[in-house]
Amino acid sequence: MYGFPLPVLRLWACSVLAQLLVLALLFLKGNFRKLPYFTAYAALNICQAAFLFFVYSHSWSNPDTSGILAWTSECLTLVAQALATTEILEITLRPYQGIWGLGWRALTVVSGIVVLLVALAARGHWATSSSSWFQLDRGYHLTFASALIACLALVRYYSIPVPPVFKMLLGGFCFYSCTEIVVNTLLQAFFKKDFFRHQAAWQLLTMSSFIVMQAIWAVALRKPLPVEKRQAALPSDSDYQRLSPEINEDLRRLNEKLLRLWKLEALPQ
Amino acid sequence: MSVTFLLLIAFAVLMLLLLVWVLRDPRKQAKPDSDPESSEEFGQRHVGYFSQVRQALAAEDFAFLASRGSPQLARRLRRERRKIALAYLACLRGDFLRLWRLARVIASMSPEVGVGQELARLRLGLIFSFRYEMIRVKIVFGLSPLPDLGSLSDVVSRLSIRLETAMKNLGERAALAAKLSSSLDNGQGLDTP
Repeated sequence: MYGFPLPVLRLWACSVLAQLLVLALLFLKGNFRKLPYFTAYAALNICQAAFLFFVYSHSWSNPDTSGILAWTSECLTLVAQALATTEILEITLRPYQGIWGLGWRALTVVSGIVVLLVALAARGHWATSSSSWFQLDRGYHLTFASALIACLALVRYYSIPVPPVFKMLLGGFCFYSCTEIVVNTLLQAFFKKDFFRHQAAWQLLTMSSFIVMQAIWAVALRKPLPVEKRQAALPSDSDYQRLSPEINEDLRRLNEKLLRLWKLEALPQ
Repeated sequence: MSVTFLLLIAFAVLMLLLLVWVLRDPRKQAKPDSDPESSEEFGQRHVGYFSQVRQALAAEDFAFLASRGSPQLARRLRRERRKIALAYLACLRGDFLRLWRLARVIASMSPEVGVGQELARLRLGLIFSFRYEMIRVKIVFGLSPLPDLGSLSDVVSRLSIRLETAMKNLGERAALAAKLSSSLDNGQGLDTP
């Protein structure tokens, strides 16, 4: 821990303070009841900071041990992050059961495709164990950001209102993931061989974006979460089953008319 | 810097831009006439104007004026007809988009949504936009004769009536559900025989 430069240590302290502020806001405003997984994620982040403090302060006989322990703790928080995000999406889409059904399928499909692409891209590039951790981390953030954007695009497509506080929480997650991808990629590209000597730069950049994310969340959580609206009065499933194919058929017919216009030969005028 | 790195950075930047776009409030960006209720009225009017538009585009009128008038008048008439066709085509597109949007509202209110149906509609919307642009370009550059827009209007009109009826039914059902729910909240309960 003491091996890190002073700016990194300062940022580390700021980050812990920001995390504590977010957790305090969650409890003080009573938001922890509505967002249990998100609260657990915030608490887990603080626990991870304490764990990393212990790991980096301790002198290990094997120099790789601290890295392995740190990345293992990161895996846990990333799983918690995915759960917290799903929780917010589920709350947003709860009154829209059909769209939520579509949403989680979209999440699964997009995640599957990105994981496959990441695995294909990383094939044969697993230089060292440390490098593979970075690639895994970047792969996770790629998957996470794409799935989240796909779900938010679906929400926008169906004009579903998202409370500003949830927009800020989800936006914070996505911003952090995108900056992680950029930072990991840029540092790896610029410092190919000396990449692991520039861990301080990596720490500075990733921690800065993490603090920005925490600041966005602190602003979002300064007020209690909006009271959940009564579930929308839903039409019966048969309405959709009856109407949707009919509408599609009419839209298709309209398209065919357009196609006929498109193929129309020029007639003498 | 390798292509993979460039692609990764481009992807992350694209994600950030998409994030800004998806989180932006769509209502702030919407034009006043894109309000579903107001445009519903406008949409019905567009389709209703078809007889006047057809009269304006009638080939007989054009032939008559061409035989009696000068070439300048014929050119001017063609130009005017082109403008009318374009304006009407744009109105039909507005109607299509409004109906497409209404279909999405029905889907968002439904407890079950068919992935196939939704994907099919998305594809139809994209194809419509593409074809609309192609036809518009053809008319603008005089590459196509003025189309018979009547058949298009018929489709939009029929779809409009069907959706209007469906939305009315859904609205009545939703109002009934809300009424029942508020009665239960007030402790009145349901009237039982």
